[in-house]
Amino acid sequence: MAQDPLNVLWIEPSFPGRLGAVADWLTRRRGYRSRFYCHNLEPRENWPPSVGRGLDVQVFGVGGVARETAVSWARALERSLCYAYGCWEVLEKNRPRPIDLIVGRSAGLGSSLFAPVYDRAAPIAQFFDYFYHGRAHDLADEAGPETPSAYYHWRRSTAAIELLDLEQAAMAWTPTEWQRSLYPAEYRDEMAVLHDGIDTRRFARSAWHASGRGRRSIAGRPIHESTRVITFVARSVDRLRGFDRFLDVADAVLLARRETIAVVIGERTVRRGLDIAFHNKDYIAHLLGRRPSLDPDRLWILGAKPPAVVAEALAASDLHLAPSRPYPVARSTLEAMSAGCVVIASDQAPHREVIEHGRTGLLMDPADTSAMVDRALAILDNPSEYRPIGEAAAARILERYSQDVCLPRLAERFNDLALSGRRT
Amino acid sequence: MNILFIHDAFPAQFGRLGQELATKHGWKCQFLVQSLSSCPTPTEEMLRAVELYQMPMTAEHKTGEGIPWPQIYGQFLEQCRSVFDVLKAKPEIRPDLVVAHGGRGAPTLFLRDVLDGPIINYCEYYFATSHRDISYRIDLPPAEPAPFFPRCINAPTLAILADCDAGYSATAWQRSSFPSRFHSKIEVHFDGIETELYRPGPAPRKIGDRSIPEGTKVVTFVSRGLESIRGFDLFMKVADRIARTRSDVLFVVVGGEEIHYGWDKLHTGAPSFKQWVLGRGDYDLSRFIFVGRILPEQLADIFRISDLHIYLTAPFVLSWSMLNAMSSGCVVLGSDVPPVREVIRPGENGLVGPLFDVEALTESALRVLDDPATYAPLGRAARRTIEESYSLEVCFSPIKDFFERVASRGR
Repeated sequence: MAQDPLNVLWIEPSFPGRLGAVADWLTRRRGYRSRFYCHNLEPRENWPPSVGRGLDVQVFGVGGVARETAVSWARALERSLCYAYGCWEVLEKNRPRPIDLIVGRSAGLGSSLFAPVYDRAAPIAQFFDYFYHGRAHDLADEAGPETPSAYYHWRRSTAAIELLDLEQAAMAWTPTEWQRSLYPAEYRDEMAVLHDGIDTRRFARSAWHASGRGRRSIAGRPIHESTRVITFVARSVDRLRGFDRFLDVADAVLLARRETIAVVIGERTVRRGLDIAFHNKDYIAHLLGRRPSLDPDRLWILGAKPPAVVAEALAASDLHLAPSRPYPVARSTLEAMSAGCVVIASDQAPHREVIEHGRTGLLMDPADTSAMVDRALAILDNPSEYRPIGEAAAARILERYSQDVCLPRLAERFNDLALSGRRT
Repeated sequence: MNILFIHDAFPAQFGRLGQELATKHGWKCQFLVQSLSSCPTPTEEMLRAVELYQMPMTAEHKTGEGIPWPQIYGQFLEQCRSVFDVLKAKPEIRPDLVVAHGGRGAPTLFLRDVLDGPIINYCEYYFATSHRDISYRIDLPPAEPAPFFPRCINAPTLAILADCDAGYSATAWQRSSFPSRFHSKIEVHFDGIETELYRPGPAPRKIGDRSIPEGTKVVTFVSRGLESIRGFDLFMKVADRIARTRSDVLFVVVGGEEIHYGWDKLHTGAPSFKQWVLGRGDYDLSRFIFVGRILPEQLADIFRISDLHIYLTAPFVLSWSMLNAMSSGCVVLGSDVPPVREVIRPGENGLVGPLFDVEALTESALRVLDDPATYAPLGRAARRTIEESYSLEVCFSPIKDFFERVASRGR
């Protein structure tokens, strides 16, 4: 079916956030006219190429409780409404026209909630990440008796903004089946599972992964051909993504194999509010303070890096570890697979959906550190034996998760939505 | 069966139900409430039959003032926390079933962390973004929150709907207000009208100190708050026209000046909607008796002397007062909106007219006042409708059966 260019209003708390890459692809490849409304701008080095060339970014302010640094869990929706109102104010001031479609991602902040006050007619496609359960998944599975009741109150109450967004959306969309399974049964049937895709050009299978040969460097630091590289990448280096588990494995591997380095990329400050023990703290410093690394020179902690450096690291990696707690599969895991890395991931539902054990990656019990260490050493000692797994992983991403596969499908849905008549 | 009812007030919706379940069926009925209601007040029998527990009052209930609309959900969560705290502190409350009410969502969101039994949510209403309830009166001056509040007011309701095991609404129209995806979870069970209290018959023709002569016609209007969503302003216009046509009519208006729904204070700027309405018309107030809020027994007496009851709601939760009036054998002239149409079959057990068509409503009212004998059968049919479909006696068994079904299903 033909996919016409659409005038799309994108709304997300941050740019590029999650939708920025989607907007960029649709602008470049389908001729969309994109207006991206956000509150925060990430560093310019993270911006996609179509900014200023069909994709315009507009910042909106927030007021009220959203300006406070710490907000009680009971005021989370009130804070969300400040974002939604701030967005509406700028829409009303700028009056962008025409709008065929509104695409929103609230990320718990509900910024598209009042967009229909400005334009009642444009249908809304809403991206959904995660629906919290009171005592299951992410870090809740391991919460101890010392956990305050308020933590569970917050978890049970934070879904309200998602539910309002679900009710308002003409199309609800989530990247994986596992993510969809978290939502209340009443909504699941109507939720589309469409991954927003990996940039397989940026994270293409590297020469190193294809042949085991080639020059490698990460963030300007060259890596000798005989050196083995294990990688850990996360938006923020935290417990949720299993950095503690990674460090246990890395320490043992670095001790056992001298010509190995461990590379860690991600912001040092824990940003996710669900980690009440370490929120806004440096989790790396916490772990290393309790148990210094055996060889700090071979533990490269790079901090947050732009996608180009992440791509370099993954292109050079001999083993990528994704020992996450149950949470939506990290983009970095898919990017590692796309780059042709051999990935060891925790054996849990979100990973089982994208990794076929023994064929496109390895799924292991994250609590069994010694088994992971043994397997890691086997991979580093015999890279050619495991190379077919990385090869199959890259092929799987190309086939199912590349932007060029995922986004035409999404464009088709957007097209249908815009054509199906305007929503009141 | 051990059942816990949660409600802001007692007895409200659940008091009589709990009394029946306890005294006739041996159920242990516990109530967790914020306050004892003064209207209606709990009876001695009721208080003996059930166990009452009090939770701290929310700020909104303490002050009686509304809270800023963006804080509605936070207020709801505070109430949820209060309920959780009480249950955590009182191990003697461990019911087989929880039945909870909340005008903007029952405060049961955190109960899963302290109770195992199923939870039933009384699904009173789901607000719309247009064409219903607080968004209906576009004829009135716009208020700043009007486009925004309806888009977030349902947050507590949605959170509870997604969490509860089952729900029930008082009427089919109220159930239909909820997103259709939840309909399979919601049954329709009306609470029940006290047909012994609200019944036709003789009553003193006196309201307060004022006697009402035999020849004087009485037109009644009842609403918890005299506000736009219940059409108080439209009633006054109709009443004014009737008063100018007939000199023998007295209008008895029951209800407080507080605003429970919508933007009346904001878009009028007046201390109350009643004052705003009265200030904009040339009404002969000697023809009106404003009695404020009164006890059910007094209301029942007023209905017994009513020649015509006017009920001009916007599409919104049906008021018990309309059903009480019907139970009392009144001829009811209601607004022609779906919740009213669910009960009133025009020309059979009542009358309806277009909500905004003051002329048409006035003409209908005058016809009833001019020729009461012709319209008396409508009042009798109204009474039958309540006896057959909405009385406590009729409604009790299906509700009890519903509770038992949900309890036996478990979580």
